[in-house]
Amino acid sequence: MSYLELKDVSVSFGPASNRTEVLSNLNLKVEENEFVAVIGFSGAGKSTLMSLLAGLQEPTNGEVLFKGKPIKGPGPDLGIMFQNYSLLPWLSVNDNVKLAVNKVFPELSKKEVDEKIHNYVEMVRLDHAGDKKPHELSGGMRQRASLARTLSLDPEVLLLDEPLSALDALTRSELQDQILNIWERDKRTVVMITNDVDEAVLMADRIVPLTMGPKATLADEFIVNMERPRDRHTLNDHPEFMRLKAEITRFMMNLNKEAKSLAKPVNTSMPDIAPKDFTVPSGRPQFSRNFKISASPSTPS
Amino acid sequence: MKKRLIIPIIGLLASASLPAETLDLEKDSLKFGFIKLTDCAPIVIAKEKGFFEDEGLQVEVIAQPNWKTLLDNVISGELDGAHMLSGQPIAATIGFGTKAHIVTAFTMDLNGNGITVSNSIWEQMQENDPRLDSPTPPHPISAEALKPIVEEKLDDGEKLQMGMVFPTSTHNYELRYWLAASGINPGMYTKSDIGGRTDAQVELSVTPPPMMPATLEAGNIQGYCVGEPWNQAAVEKGIGVPVTTNFDIWKNNPEKVFGVSKAWADENPQTYLAVTKALILAGQWLDETDASGKLVNREEAARILSRPDYVGADYDVIKNSMTGFFLFQKTDKREMPDFNVFYKYHCTYPWYSDGIWFLTQMRRWGQITEAKPKDWYLETAKEVYKPEIYLKAAQLLLDEDKIKKEDIPWDSDGFKAPTTEFIDGIEYNGKEPIKYLNSHKIGNKDSE
Amino acid sequence: MKILSSIKYPLLKAIDISGLTFLSPVVRLCYGEEPSVQLKKIGQWIIIPVAAMLLFIFAWNAGSGLIKTKAGTLPTPGETADALGSINTFADREDLKKEAYNLTGEERLAALAVAEAQLASITPKVQETTDAVAQAKSEHEKSIAVVVEPLEKNYDELKEKFSQAQDKRKQELESVSETLVIGDKASYTKFLDLVKANESQTDAEKTELSSLKAAISDARNDKSKKVALALSMQTKVAEEKQFLEKQIEQLTKRNRSIMVESAETNISTTTEELYQLTGADAYKKARSIAKDESRLEKTIESKYAQPATLWYQVRRSILCVFTGFIIGAGIAIPIGILCGLNSTFMAAMTPFIAIFKPVSPIVWLPIALIIVGGFIPDPENNAVIQWLWKAPLIDIYKINPAFIASAITVALCSLWATLANTALGVASIDKDHMNVARVLKLGFWSRLFKIVIPSALPLIFAGLRISLGVGWMVLIAAELLSSSEGIGKFVWDQFNNGASDSFAKMMVVVFVVGFVGLILDRIMIVFQRLVSFEGSKAAI
Repeated sequence: MSYLELKDVSVSFGPASNRTEVLSNLNLKVEENEFVAVIGFSGAGKSTLMSLLAGLQEPTNGEVLFKGKPIKGPGPDLGIMFQNYSLLPWLSVNDNVKLAVNKVFPELSKKEVDEKIHNYVEMVRLDHAGDKKPHELSGGMRQRASLARTLSLDPEVLLLDEPLSALDALTRSELQDQILNIWERDKRTVVMITNDVDEAVLMADRIVPLTMGPKATLADEFIVNMERPRDRHTLNDHPEFMRLKAEITRFMMNLNKEAKSLAKPVNTSMPDIAPKDFTVPSGRPQFSRNFKISASPSTPS
Repeated sequence: MKKRLIIPIIGLLASASLPAETLDLEKDSLKFGFIKLTDCAPIVIAKEKGFFEDEGLQVEVIAQPNWKTLLDNVISGELDGAHMLSGQPIAATIGFGTKAHIVTAFTMDLNGNGITVSNSIWEQMQENDPRLDSPTPPHPISAEALKPIVEEKLDDGEKLQMGMVFPTSTHNYELRYWLAASGINPGMYTKSDIGGRTDAQVELSVTPPPMMPATLEAGNIQGYCVGEPWNQAAVEKGIGVPVTTNFDIWKNNPEKVFGVSKAWADENPQTYLAVTKALILAGQWLDETDASGKLVNREEAARILSRPDYVGADYDVIKNSMTGFFLFQKTDKREMPDFNVFYKYHCTYPWYSDGIWFLTQMRRWGQITEAKPKDWYLETAKEVYKPEIYLKAAQLLLDEDKIKKEDIPWDSDGFKAPTTEFIDGIEYNGKEPIKYLNSHKIGNKDSE
Repeated sequence: MKILSSIKYPLLKAIDISGLTFLSPVVRLCYGEEPSVQLKKIGQWIIIPVAAMLLFIFAWNAGSGLIKTKAGTLPTPGETADALGSINTFADREDLKKEAYNLTGEERLAALAVAEAQLASITPKVQETTDAVAQAKSEHEKSIAVVVEPLEKNYDELKEKFSQAQDKRKQELESVSETLVIGDKASYTKFLDLVKANESQTDAEKTELSSLKAAISDARNDKSKKVALALSMQTKVAEEKQFLEKQIEQLTKRNRSIMVESAETNISTTTEELYQLTGADAYKKARSIAKDESRLEKTIESKYAQPATLWYQVRRSILCVFTGFIIGAGIAIPIGILCGLNSTFMAAMTPFIAIFKPVSPIVWLPIALIIVGGFIPDPENNAVIQWLWKAPLIDIYKINPAFIASAITVALCSLWATLANTALGVASIDKDHMNVARVLKLGFWSRLFKIVIPSALPLIFAGLRISLGVGWMVLIAAELLSSSEGIGKFVWDQFNNGASDSFAKMMVVVFVVGFVGLILDRIMIVFQRLVSFEGSKAAI
């Protein structure tokens, strides 16, 4: 029996006549204290997958099991860290954490609560900004605050939904290290969703690709057989790292091509004019950017 | 040092500030309501000249927006008592309009109303009766000259509109009397028509007194019957012409009373006596004359009334009628010493015959929908008018040597002598209400 | 210096929160920050509005003379300022009378001396001003007579002439009618035309006469500024004199300490007399002493019955609007939250909201009065009302059923904005925040108080701000109808007074109401800013 398990799970939306299946026939087993990364394209249904694991959403078919029992609903055991921080804007960082601490440890005295808050805020190195409101913080600081709140729930499973996606490269690596530190020091089960191959290889024990949607499903996993702690500075010279990275990248590229060829041809006849692109150029698709960087071996991440 | 200065003052004032017989006041801080009309004077004067304070009463005098609210506030206990239309306590007691038992032991004044018509109606009246086309036309002016205008309007499918202040106001009955005396039907009240417009040749509607001039100018009504200063205001502003006063309609007719709820009177009998005493003295002060018969205190009274928290109109406007003059037109200022009577002619006494007159009018115009026996009129008047309280208060004042014996009708049976001093000369005898009812051409008639 | 620079940012923040942003360039300029930019801003946000105000006052001054009806003239800014002065004088005098009633000892004597001196100096002026009025009036009458007399003469002559002409024409027509021959239709037609011509001639003459008469009446109604001025001077002096006489009375025989002392003296003399009596006389005397003593106690506690002044009415109105506002918020916020949380409840409430929302205060008030009257039939013997009359701070406002009915009317008219905004705020709560609550497994109440309400608070306050504004507008109408002591009653009383300065006093009220409304709005903006957070809806 696995610790956390997806059994033939599919999720669909919409009325019966026009049903869209987002996730189809997912199977995943996560063992206790394992670090699993799910990698996939934007819009593949990664966040839906995360919601399923956190109990925020129920699958249309199949079941999600936690310690062998179906998940009934969300709870502090399944500590999810949301992609868009979800800090309560009217509360300071400390108060955001306090909300969680008070809920999980209702028996603590005021002093012990304060200590605990301090502890978690320090863990993410935000102790200097504990009294600030979220809008006074930078994106990285917010994500760290969100992480602190999630950690303070002392969850049995840590569900990280693209926790570092909005960060610049420097902050990102710093936070990766922090998450790894925390995980290593205080072992627990982690499922992380990411769109960055480097990140996945650096952090996870196993990497599970999610195919392109709709009807996304989980492909064959990649095992990361690298000793810990992993040193990011020497990683680029590590042959296993290079191999895995290239393999996963290739796999993902193929997925992309396949998806394009599978896409149904448009039946309606279109005017013979190339549509003009009015979109703002700054909207960079996340995956492709990281993908490109990691695809070219000459660029260090 | 301090003592020595105060004691002589006390010596001077001890007699003035303490009544001989102290009443056991149940309540010493009171609220009285009034409508902004000069005939609220007795209440205002009793406060400002200290007659209430002499009785140990601290009184707040509060302006009310209209007669209905005033009555409601007295019924709810928000006000302890108020300046009321004579018809109001009677109507409330018999249940026409809001039902509540209201009593009165004090008649505040006689006369004091006028009927004003718009300039254009006045011009047409002058055409109809050339005698009116003069700077000082002969009085009394009846509605004869108005009749052709009413008929012409009816031919055009319109009705002349006139304003009065309340369905049970003296003004309503006086205006109706004036119109009916010249054969104009002012409309009947019926069970289903509580606006009183059935068969009307002239339609009457309710407008609060202070709004009369503005409503006349706006053309919604072509004339109105109201108390002072709103007739003089029309002359002052040049928007209308007072054609007659109620002195001409019924000489020395009762106008306002001081009304309280029966419950209040029963709970506070001593306070009620004290209030009545103060009001009698205020009336006496208002009608004080010098040797030549000139009213000596009226200018001061007009000045007090012109304060914004009392009547509030310009002193110049209030002064006219209060000092015994009435401006019919800018060119026609007449002496009318009895335009407002506050004390003379035993007027402060609550006469049963006055109450019965109002009851006959209510029956005449259908506000009382069914015929009533003769005795009912007196019984009802006795429920509302309380001369026994008045006489008790007067006796106390007489004992204190504050009033003269001849000023009070000590041995009256509550009926004024029969009189024919009406514009149509019909005799009114309070003891024969049904006969009186039947002596009019227009209006309900009952068999004895 | 250091302190100065350290308060700069707190100061600017305070200005920002309070919404008085026009002050911020002034502060920045004082700190020497980009003077040219700040001066430009000052020009835009201070000088231009002030100039616009001045322009408005100028236009008002110029325009007010043009708007004239028989009922009155639009008051000028100067008259409005005078009216404010006379409102204040009235209030001051009432305060002085009240003070005089309570003064004792040396203070009383000092005040008495002052009042007597003032009275002595003002008394001769009474005659002077009265004479001035008489003179101004007679001059005015003369000047009118100069205009009117020739007109009247003209009128009389014309009238005479026309009536003769009319008689003559009538005779002529009658003589023509004699010559008519039956069967000769042409002659009849001609005769008919003659009659018609005569009628139209008569009508034309009538019109001419009546236009002449209108001219006469206009001339008679001509108002003289001099007379008005003399009258207002006379009124001022006479009122002052009357006030001083009353004041002296309040300081002597109507003074509480004097009344108490005289009563005490009286009691001690009668007590002496009692000692000499026995039997029925003794009983009578003793009873009268007992009565006197209880009356003395009442005198000691008595208060001067002071009439309401405008400033008291303004304070009472503000109390009333907040009472209504709190009642309204107390109803609207819970219902709004339920509506936002539960779409079924929202569906159930929608028809009520739709029907009741547009109802005018004039309709609510009588209903509110009846309901309040039903619960409080006798305010004198009602425990709650009695408690309110004795409660500290609000005892002077004498909260009565009319007040409560007005407050309820305010609540019923103003709660809709809060209700709608609360429902919207709760319904549109960020899904992520709700997910946080789900993950934390918060219970209903902590979810409500920790997530839902804080999240909806900016919108709730935006609603409350609208509600307070609506309530303030509604209150004036409600007070006017219920005759609850307040600004509305002041307006109604002024309207009823119809005195020469009544319109000016109503103009004062326009500004007072506007100013209080502005302050209330600013207060709500501060609250709204304090509860707003980044990304919250309706942030200002």
